[in-house]
Amino acid sequence: MTCSATSDVFEGYLRPDKSVGIRNKVLILALDECCEGLARQIAAPFAHTVVLTNAYTCMMGGNEETFHQMKAVAQNPNVAGVLILVMGCGSINPEWISEPVRAGGRPVFTVNCQQNGGTRKSVELGREYAARLARMAEETPRVSAPLASLRIGIKCGGSDTSSGVASNPAVGAAANLLVDRGATCIGGELFELIGCEELLRARAVSPEAGQKIVDLIHLEQRRWSVPGVEVETMSVGNSLGGLTTIEEKSLGALHKMGSRPIRDVLRISHEGVELPGEPGFYLSEATMLCGASAVNYAALGCQAILWTSGGAGFNNSLIPVLRVSGNKALFNDDMDVDVTGIMEGGLSVAEAGERVLASLLGVASGTPTAIEDIADASMTLYQKDRRLESCLDKCRNR
Amino acid sequence: MKRFIIMHEGDDVAIALEDAAPGDTAQVRDAQNNAEVCRLTVHERIPYGHKIALRSLPAGCHLKKYGAIIGECTQAIAEGCLVHVHNVKSLSADIPEAFKHEILRQMGLEGYVS
Repeated sequence: MTCSATSDVFEGYLRPDKSVGIRNKVLILALDECCEGLARQIAAPFAHTVVLTNAYTCMMGGNEETFHQMKAVAQNPNVAGVLILVMGCGSINPEWISEPVRAGGRPVFTVNCQQNGGTRKSVELGREYAARLARMAEETPRVSAPLASLRIGIKCGGSDTSSGVASNPAVGAAANLLVDRGATCIGGELFELIGCEELLRARAVSPEAGQKIVDLIHLEQRRWSVPGVEVETMSVGNSLGGLTTIEEKSLGALHKMGSRPIRDVLRISHEGVELPGEPGFYLSEATMLCGASAVNYAALGCQAILWTSGGAGFNNSLIPVLRVSGNKALFNDDMDVDVTGIMEGGLSVAEAGERVLASLLGVASGTPTAIEDIADASMTLYQKDRRLESCLDKCRNR
Repeated sequence: MKRFIIMHEGDDVAIALEDAAPGDTAQVRDAQNNAEVCRLTVHERIPYGHKIALRSLPAGCHLKKYGAIIGECTQAIAEGCLVHVHNVKSLSADIPEAFKHEILRQMGLEGYVS
């Protein structure tokens, strides 16, 4: 099999804002939880629709981080067009999303269920709009795009001994290849980087970026260290599997992020979603919680995710997830890239990185991942609780 | 011959890719390029996924893995011996003593508790 990692192009969908998608989806946004069922009914007859529901209810106050993610996901490169649904009695104004989406050049429709005469009529109207959006999506121009058009999220889950030895180094090698060729890679899971602060500071492109990274890791640590509530930084299972210290565990996790300089750590907060500028490697506040992290990465403008694991079949409906495993005992047909050779013998990390990149380029050009369109994780919209954030702030100087 | 892997040149430890017993020869390969780096005699049981000391490590020294410091040796560790919670502590947030006891108990290493 020829290694397509030597080619630097993929076949994508050209968006009006000049970004290039690797999938062509119609996004149905249920801006409030009451429209979740409506969204699913509208989506039912159509392939290539993705439903994203705000389950934090229809209030704006306290839910700004969720709102900003929804607005950003609506402009993800894999989105061809958007249908926004509101019940009509909430305080999130759909125009706060439809206007920027329209300004970016994408087609967008809105259905206000109450104004439209209720659920039955809104299913009907919603399906008309979805059909129109699907037809418009089909007219999206295809382009040969350079690898540099890719923005790739990096995540791990279901980690075990093989993660630190095989799959994380393999993805790290691929991240270096991507960044060296002008693409952008984004990591997150700041909670998993506790213990690596000074290493990360040294990798940052500037002292300001370095300090921002350290501050956000400390904040994440405090956020999850509320007395009386158990949180696992290291489980007995981790240590039975070979991990001795939190530094060792975190360094193993860090290895999936390659070694290139870190341009910034992108915040996801009630103030908005910070987006990458120059190509390169970035950290972010993408959460360690799996389902929600994929929505974070979609909000950050990523077209796909490289995901390291032993054998867990995690997937996202909007941005394809490539599962990379180095664990021969757990490897199954949910996995996209086999790097078990690192531990079994015969495969170097460098070769494994090329293998990951080749697989990614195939997926970018349209090859489905191992479980694409079979079963996905929830499109979980997660936000940091503003009430807790306010308390952490007040507790800062105690 | 039992297979081990070293993650970065200069690391103090290698990871067992299969269970190793006292008397075995550990063959250590470099993860980056798959080349053999060294061989040494295994002096203690090293289960799959666990670490062997590639050289003798004095008490109090900083332990290197992945090219970075992952902890501090709480006692001197001889070459070929197991490196884990009984002889290493975190410089950040160490595993609580009770957890260490439980880990060692489940690994059948209760005799190691100091």
